[in-house]
Amino acid sequence: MSKFLPPESFAATGAYDLLPFNFTRLEGDSYLATNMVGESLIVDRSTLDDLVNKRLAPSHPSYTDARAKHLIAEKGDKASAELLALKTRTRYQRLQNFTNLHMFVTTLRCDHSCQYCQVSRQSEDKGAFDMTLEMADKSLDMVFRSPSKAVKIEFQGGEPLLNFDLIRYIVSKAKVRAAAEGRDLEIVIATTLSLATTEILEYCRDNHILLSVSLDGPSDLHNKNRPRPGKDSYQRFVANLQAAREIVGYDRVSALMTTTLASLPRVREIVDEYVGLGFEGIFLRALSPYGFAVKTRVYAAYDTEQWLKFYKDGLQYIIELNQAGIPFREYYTTLILQKMFTCADPGFVDLMNPAGIGIAAVVFNYDGSVYASDESRMLAEMKDQTFRLGSVLENTYEEIFLNEKLLSTLEESFTLSAPMCSECAFEPFCGADPVFSHAVYGDVVGRKPASDFCKRNMAIFRHLIQLMREDREVEALFRRWSALC
Amino acid sequence: MLERVISFDPAAYSLETIQRAAYRYIDKFSIGFNVKEASIDCILQFDKEVDDLDGVIQDFRKEVLDQHLRARIAKETESIRHLILAHAFSRTGLV
Repeated sequence: MSKFLPPESFAATGAYDLLPFNFTRLEGDSYLATNMVGESLIVDRSTLDDLVNKRLAPSHPSYTDARAKHLIAEKGDKASAELLALKTRTRYQRLQNFTNLHMFVTTLRCDHSCQYCQVSRQSEDKGAFDMTLEMADKSLDMVFRSPSKAVKIEFQGGEPLLNFDLIRYIVSKAKVRAAAEGRDLEIVIATTLSLATTEILEYCRDNHILLSVSLDGPSDLHNKNRPRPGKDSYQRFVANLQAAREIVGYDRVSALMTTTLASLPRVREIVDEYVGLGFEGIFLRALSPYGFAVKTRVYAAYDTEQWLKFYKDGLQYIIELNQAGIPFREYYTTLILQKMFTCADPGFVDLMNPAGIGIAAVVFNYDGSVYASDESRMLAEMKDQTFRLGSVLENTYEEIFLNEKLLSTLEESFTLSAPMCSECAFEPFCGADPVFSHAVYGDVVGRKPASDFCKRNMAIFRHLIQLMREDREVEALFRRWSALC
Repeated sequence: MLERVISFDPAAYSLETIQRAAYRYIDKFSIGFNVKEASIDCILQFDKEVDDLDGVIQDFRKEVLDQHLRARIAKETESIRHLILAHAFSRTGLV
């Protein structure tokens, strides 16, 4: 007798149970069905009806897919539920690590005066806008209370290089503590590069510090978006980018852009600028509805529809570049694709559930205040202290991270129970952004049908799915993007 | 303000199902309910001029049908959903 069962033993019987899944209409008669971890299937309405009403025959082309994607499990099949549980565990594994990203606002001072910037001051007053050594020490104490084995410290501003002595101080202390506790430490400085000197860059090289730099596009656009004395922001950027790559390392420098009204008709030029300067991708970001961007009416200068057009045009151009043999990625798309094609969560704070505020990222502000996210401190600059969790000078770790506002916000915005999100097939690709909802609608859940966050992300999900359905080459390209780290 | 009344058979659809469907249209119309033995009457009041009013109502009817199907899936998979989540988090120390 063979120790293996014959093939017939594994044949589909047609008797099945449903596993948890959601579905959402795409267009016309097409529906997207996704399980708890985002594995998906596109079916027509009658197939969906048959699937739910257990009339789908094993000979139907979608039957095998529905089994493989864990939308159904044959009677007696225990493996499907166990596999789904394993994948669910993988999806949420970041939760047990708690806070990973710790942002230190070393100063609010900045040499730029960008219209859209949420947080910067044109001031020489170090006492008023710089973090002190005592605040830095107490913030570090908080960082090393996190149970996460991997700790990331990101220096933000203002322009953090204006308080570089404090960066040196924090880096040296953090390295000692990380080594003593066996933690992996990653350090990033978010900078315009305008004030980067050889000495600073050599320090970054010697301490394995990554640089996240700002580039908004071609010279005239960048200088318009990012005014500074001398009107030479772009020229300084290009010169210092070259120096940074030579000294710190070519792959140790990444760039971020901000989309203003002036950027909208120029997405292809912006992408060309990134390609020309040797970057491997771009993050097409919309402005956040916070701080000076709202105060100076820059945020209202364009709406979601306009931004979506900008994004879609840019993505189309990037696809064309790839088809012409120039490898280049759009990073927001890549994050979503990772959620679509894998069970791993890339950990992007705006697309996490539970929301990433506090439990994935936290901000130690220049004045000792602790905020639940970068957006929370931007909101505070508009006199809205809703997401101020406390102060490193006055509060304990427990008081800050068990802050009632933080906990209730995480609970209320949880997408598996939030109205509309809980039944949305895009939910596994999406996330909760309660600070955005609070800033725009005044409550942390918001009205989903009218939400710009929802509108923007649903439009992107639909667009990506449509692109892949229309062109198998695009799907192959997107799968390659999602597989890259 | 434009007003339309559409009715559903309570033997086919629950009030909750219709309410869930209506939530998705709160940016287009507000809604009131008149629940009777033989029908659930929905009074739709459109907030502003809608280009394709009949199209929106048709979409709403389809959404009610979708919600009905969703309710079936949710009900049937409730226990397995809890089991999967419990199994997924069993070793994390979070629950």
